[in-house]
Amino acid sequence: MAENGESSGPPRPSRGPAAAQGSAAAQAEPKIIKVTVKTPKEKEEFAVPENSSVQQFKEAISKRFKSQTDQLVLIFAGKILKDQDTLIQHGIHDGLTVHLVIKSQNRPQGQSTQPSNAAGTNATSASTPRSNSTPISTNSNPFGLGSLGGLAGLSSLGLSSTNFSELQSQMQQQLMASPEMMIQIMENPFVQSMLSNPDLMRQLIMANPQMQQLIQRNPEISHLLNNPDIMRQTLEIARNPAMMQEMMRNQDLALSNLESIPGGYNALRRMYTDIQEPMLNAAQEQFGGNPFASVGSSSSSGEGTQPSRTENRDPLPNPWAPPPATQSSATTSTTTSTGSGSGNSSSNATGNTVAAANYVASIFSTPGMQSLLQQITENPQLIQNMLSAPYMRSMMQSLSQNPDLAAQMMLNSPLFTANPQLQEQMRPQLPAFLQQMQNPDTLSAMSNPRAMQALMQIQQGLQTLATEAPGLIPSFTPGVGVGVLGTAIGPVGPVTPLGPIGPIVPFTPIGPIGPIGPTGPAGPPGSTGSGGPTGPTVSSAAPSESTSPTSESGPNQQFIQQMVQALAGANAPQLPNPEVRFQQQLEQLNAMGFLNREANLQALIATGGDINAAIERLLGSQPS
Amino acid sequence: MEPPNLYPVKLYVYDLSKGLARRLSPIMLGEGEGARHTSIVVHKDEFFFGSGGISSCPPGGTLLGPPDSVVDVGSTEVTEEIFLEYLSSLGESLFRGEAYNLFEHNCNTFSNEVAQFLTGRKIPSYITDLPSEVLSTPFGQALRPLLDSIQIQPPGGSSVGRPNGQS
Repeated sequence: MAENGESSGPPRPSRGPAAAQGSAAAQAEPKIIKVTVKTPKEKEEFAVPENSSVQQFKEAISKRFKSQTDQLVLIFAGKILKDQDTLIQHGIHDGLTVHLVIKSQNRPQGQSTQPSNAAGTNATSASTPRSNSTPISTNSNPFGLGSLGGLAGLSSLGLSSTNFSELQSQMQQQLMASPEMMIQIMENPFVQSMLSNPDLMRQLIMANPQMQQLIQRNPEISHLLNNPDIMRQTLEIARNPAMMQEMMRNQDLALSNLESIPGGYNALRRMYTDIQEPMLNAAQEQFGGNPFASVGSSSSSGEGTQPSRTENRDPLPNPWAPPPATQSSATTSTTTSTGSGSGNSSSNATGNTVAAANYVASIFSTPGMQSLLQQITENPQLIQNMLSAPYMRSMMQSLSQNPDLAAQMMLNSPLFTANPQLQEQMRPQLPAFLQQMQNPDTLSAMSNPRAMQALMQIQQGLQTLATEAPGLIPSFTPGVGVGVLGTAIGPVGPVTPLGPIGPIVPFTPIGPIGPIGPTGPAGPPGSTGSGGPTGPTVSSAAPSESTSPTSESGPNQQFIQQMVQALAGANAPQLPNPEVRFQQQLEQLNAMGFLNREANLQALIATGGDINAAIERLLGSQPS
Repeated sequence: MEPPNLYPVKLYVYDLSKGLARRLSPIMLGEGEGARHTSIVVHKDEFFFGSGGISSCPPGGTLLGPPDSVVDVGSTEVTEEIFLEYLSSLGESLFRGEAYNLFEHNCNTFSNEVAQFLTGRKIPSYITDLPSEVLSTPFGQALRPLLDSIQIQPPGGSSVGRPNGQS
């Protein structure tokens, strides 16, 4: 008993403390250890319970280092500590040091859409990265019109987005992904003419809020923009795809040479990170992530591990989409941002939508487009959204104010160029046409699917009529014009979009109208181009019950006007006489002492009315 | 838990005294078979610290050619991406180009630091102890001002880091 008592005695006390310890261990805090956390920049000591998990540890760290837990990467003895591990598991004891890396998250990577990455691989298209953004700016906005294009991309994702700007960016991505499209666009004289006006381009660029931000951060960019020479050069290059490619090559060569100079790479990198990358990222946000994110991922975070090895040919694979990798001068970045910017701003879009009109034709022929159009027609809501885009409205406005322009735009559409009679026929109808477009009734009719269908049926009827009794058709033209237009616009239920439009084309009266209508809002597939202007015209007219350009402020309106004028001026074979255009500049040149009117005129034409450039040209030709 | 990929980490040791040291420095840095330049090789890249900051190149890609000896430091789980982030932070803080000091903050310092980060182990002490060895001689002391101005940057690498603090 005593023994028992004794034996139990000691055990009891020992158990007691043991139990106490055990319970203490169980209840009380386990031993606290001090772990030093070392980042490349600093080091801090943390006192944490021994058995805490990595997750808890990270939480404590994130407070002290002011980051988020998922930005933290803990490394000990070469092992990355995962959240569900414990410190003990890795052998982290008191007094040891754990390394910490805080991931920076300043790369807007992976905005899902693969087109952006695909774009990365499309190097072929014409525009050089340099002026790439410039053409992109003009090109992408036209596509704003084509939420159509965007929808093609969306179709795979499910046609859910009714957000127009989203569609627009989708469109841009589609564009980027298709070098052929790009080439087509570039070759379109319309685009080229637009590009030849540096003032216009500058406005385009400046109007983009992102661009403006960038400019604030990097004043060199604004210098660049304001330097007419550079602008002009850029635009020239943009216009000439072959030249652009050459420029690109030269730049790349120069860059790679620079790279091999000791310290040169640093300079380049600095240039890139300072200027281009933010632009690129800004641009990329529209295009869905930075296609170079992976390429240089290691470049961006990896600081040159890749480029150091070889002459950096990475940019070449994708010079066009967002021209970042070339790390060229700010010019390129300017253009980059332009491209991105233009994608965004609606004011830009406005001007560009006008340009868009003409591309619509070429665009429509792609199968993607067609399926897109189909979807659009099936979704009136989408059309509504599209039509209500502010820039469309303003474009519509400008167009109606300048019927000649509309006429010219239409006439330039590929559809018409092949068929002069169409042009002739359309021309007189245009003013009335535009009026109709402005008519709110028309607009509401257009957004009414059933009305559209009815119109479509009428169109079909006319088509049939045309085959059966061609003689009757011309008489229908005037009245039918708009009606057919409406019809054409209407998404058709049973009839495949291609059907009605296709055959319609040959029929003079109906033809132009048919395609025109659908082109706009629904862009029925197959309607190749048909009056870009009318298309957008229609679309823009449709939504706004009040056609007043309330959404557009003064400058935007002016911009649009200018745009429109540029269109008119550039496209029409009957240019307003350059002499007339440059009247003022000629006078100035005269006053300055350049008396050779012929030469002045030549110079002005070559420089697009830019007096300073013209003077240089003139001086250059007269060796002093 | 399956460990993620383990990447081998190696230390490349270049004996400068065999060639460059005689040209790079008028004094006998070759004393004690010192004058070692080291770099860490991981993820198929060589990383080193010189007067131009942290640089990288393909293994053995500097002008120094192939290393004179290779020390296996261990393995790391740290991925390339994380490592590069780490390097660029280092490059901005502790290992900026201008922080280079031939004796006290040189390529070996860097290699040591990185090795610890990657594997938890340090590099062999005979390398890191060299500067203090030299400095402890009266000769070394006398020439210290001169030596301090020597900066070694093996050419052939390109810089790692975000020089303009983009992190």
